[in-house]
Amino acid sequence: MITNTVSNENTAFKLPGINGMKLYSNDDEVDAVVIGTGAGGAPLLSRLARAGLKVIALEAGQHWNPSIDFATDEVSQSKLFWNDERLSAGSDPLAFGNNNSGTGVGGSTLHFTAYTPRPQADDFNLYDEFSVGVNWPIGYRELEYYFDELENFLGVSGPEHYPWGSPRQSSYPLPPLPLNAAAQLMQRGCKALDIKTSPAPNAALSAPYYKEGIGWRAACTNRGYCQAGCTTGAKASMDVTYIPLAIHYGAEIRPECFVTHFENDPSGKLTSVVYIKNGSGQRQKCRFVFLCAGAIESPRLLLINGLANSSGEVGKNFMAHTGMQVWGQFEQEVRPYKGIPGALISEDYHRPGEVDFAGGYLLQSIGVMPVTYASQVARGRGLWGEALTQCMRGYNHTAGINILGECLPYPGNYLGLSDEPDDRGLPKPIIYFSQGENEQRLTAHADKIMKTIWEKAGGSDIWSFDRNAHIIGTCRMGNDPRKAVVNKVGKSFDIPNLYIADNSIFPSALSVNPALTIMALSLYIADNFLAAT
Amino acid sequence: MRNDLYPAGIVKELLKTDLVAPNTKQVLNDRLTKDIVLIPHFFTKENFATLQAVCKRLVPQPPRQQPVDLAGLLEEDLFTGSGNGWRYASMPEDKQAIISGLTGIDDTAQDAFGTAFHLLETSHQDSILSSVQNGTAAGKSWALLPVKLFFEELLAKVAELYYSHPSVKEEIGDVSFADNKGWEKIGLDQMEAYEPKIIN
Repeated sequence: MITNTVSNENTAFKLPGINGMKLYSNDDEVDAVVIGTGAGGAPLLSRLARAGLKVIALEAGQHWNPSIDFATDEVSQSKLFWNDERLSAGSDPLAFGNNNSGTGVGGSTLHFTAYTPRPQADDFNLYDEFSVGVNWPIGYRELEYYFDELENFLGVSGPEHYPWGSPRQSSYPLPPLPLNAAAQLMQRGCKALDIKTSPAPNAALSAPYYKEGIGWRAACTNRGYCQAGCTTGAKASMDVTYIPLAIHYGAEIRPECFVTHFENDPSGKLTSVVYIKNGSGQRQKCRFVFLCAGAIESPRLLLINGLANSSGEVGKNFMAHTGMQVWGQFEQEVRPYKGIPGALISEDYHRPGEVDFAGGYLLQSIGVMPVTYASQVARGRGLWGEALTQCMRGYNHTAGINILGECLPYPGNYLGLSDEPDDRGLPKPIIYFSQGENEQRLTAHADKIMKTIWEKAGGSDIWSFDRNAHIIGTCRMGNDPRKAVVNKVGKSFDIPNLYIADNSIFPSALSVNPALTIMALSLYIADNFLAAT
Repeated sequence: MRNDLYPAGIVKELLKTDLVAPNTKQVLNDRLTKDIVLIPHFFTKENFATLQAVCKRLVPQPPRQQPVDLAGLLEEDLFTGSGNGWRYASMPEDKQAIISGLTGIDDTAQDAFGTAFHLLETSHQDSILSSVQNGTAAGKSWALLPVKLFFEELLAKVAELYYSHPSVKEEIGDVSFADNKGWEKIGLDQMEAYEPKIIN
């Protein structure tokens, strides 16, 4: 069955942990093909491999070796973003690429900031609390075990006593990462306003860390370029955590494979995954398919193939976290390129009480890389000429606060297929997104709070950049096959051997960064699958 | 707004040290030594002249030995780059949008002043760019192009290209690339010895 293994001589693979990787042939009927290697695909892949299943992950992007391939340079690191064009429509058209979409083995975790707060129990029951949106078919209780496991496995650095949310079974395995200047300033401003803060949980190591199957990972050196890729392996992106673990347990990682189609038998069961590698079509036989390509490419692939959509819900319920950023200038040296960008958190506005909107948001301090900041100054303030160059001369004195907040689903916010073909001849996706009244009210509330925090911290020239971040929804999970695409264990209602495990299945946005929850869902889906088969 | 100045030569000096990782060094040195584009490969001569003039107004550069060739970098990015993953659905495809926009800017100049944009005095150039930014630019060529979005996209791209250039890092005291040893002094008002201090 196993036709080959990767050897030292094969120069295509110089990656740690990849020597000895099992290789399957296209004609081997493997147990499962996992499409995508980000926060959705990678944890699940390692779980299936550990159970002894024959598994292959197909990844559209390359398998990088960060210490050799990554530079401290935003432009050259744009290779980590999903740069195939998507069309953004609606009254608040959404930026993709560097804003929220990754490619390469590790997916978007290659460029996430490592911010890993847990969702709170009430996040899963938005409808019960506010009569808007929907409840999840599962709750905090089903995922709590996985949050514990993940924080331990990834080596999340966090405070000894986290002040918000349900009581924890275990504390963070590592002490928090040091606070950079932006975090200290936010701490100062919040203290003056009696807003509680805490060092944030971040999936980057505050001390060297060892895990069986992976080995040692080095501690974070406070490079602030997390969003351009971590060169040291301190950040727990999938390429240095679950991917080597999956390889250790016998999974094959097949990079630069773009999935286009499926084959199925007369009963509708999928029998193989069809993909393009090096310009030619390939067909991998398999018994099960796990679609983990994210909230754009997962529904896009299903829509292109007319699959798993008896509910008509594929592509619907598209959400994007409210993510306004407020920038200020400070007399002191900030040097916003140093330290983990989101070092401080406050969840005091998780449920802000007497307000005119549903849900809530978290606050985080943020550092920023220079080109990202220049781009925001250009787009957000419209500055050009001397005004732009003078503003940018204040870069070293710039600190930011960011929210990450609820976003409701609306009928007008969805993903469809455009009539414009991409380079492969497949229709480019078009995404309609407009903030509703809830998002506008929540953002207005947060705008005032953040500006006041910066005023209290001594900031000047304070301005806000409204944006929406993480993409969520489009293949909703639920209990009713007429209203959801997958059931509460991620299984398609229509196709018995198709599972979806990524941010597309979130029924609501949750008022925290999604990565930790995506990974928890991934493990939860894998364990339920293994228990059932 | 601040108008800080940093010591001359800091970036090039740091690039010679092992404070910069080899791969980062290579990327930045390549960018630093890239040939400037004298004859456009893809744009028409007219569009390219307009683009050069527009870039000069969007990002006025301080006197330096070799100004950053924004028009050349933009042409290269547009025609050989991998894109940025999205575009406004209301905008034409990126290359077409910029060609239309540059033609539009020139048409507006011809209509208003009877001459090409790049030959206008800077105050007139600025008034045309302002009219593009606020969506009031007149002229038939703007009929099919969302004017304000065109300006936003162009400005963002030019700003990104400019501030990723090693020569410009010096202008804003950005030594973020010198992180091969990581950073220890990351708190407020804390700096490593090799982080440049403001000189004015």
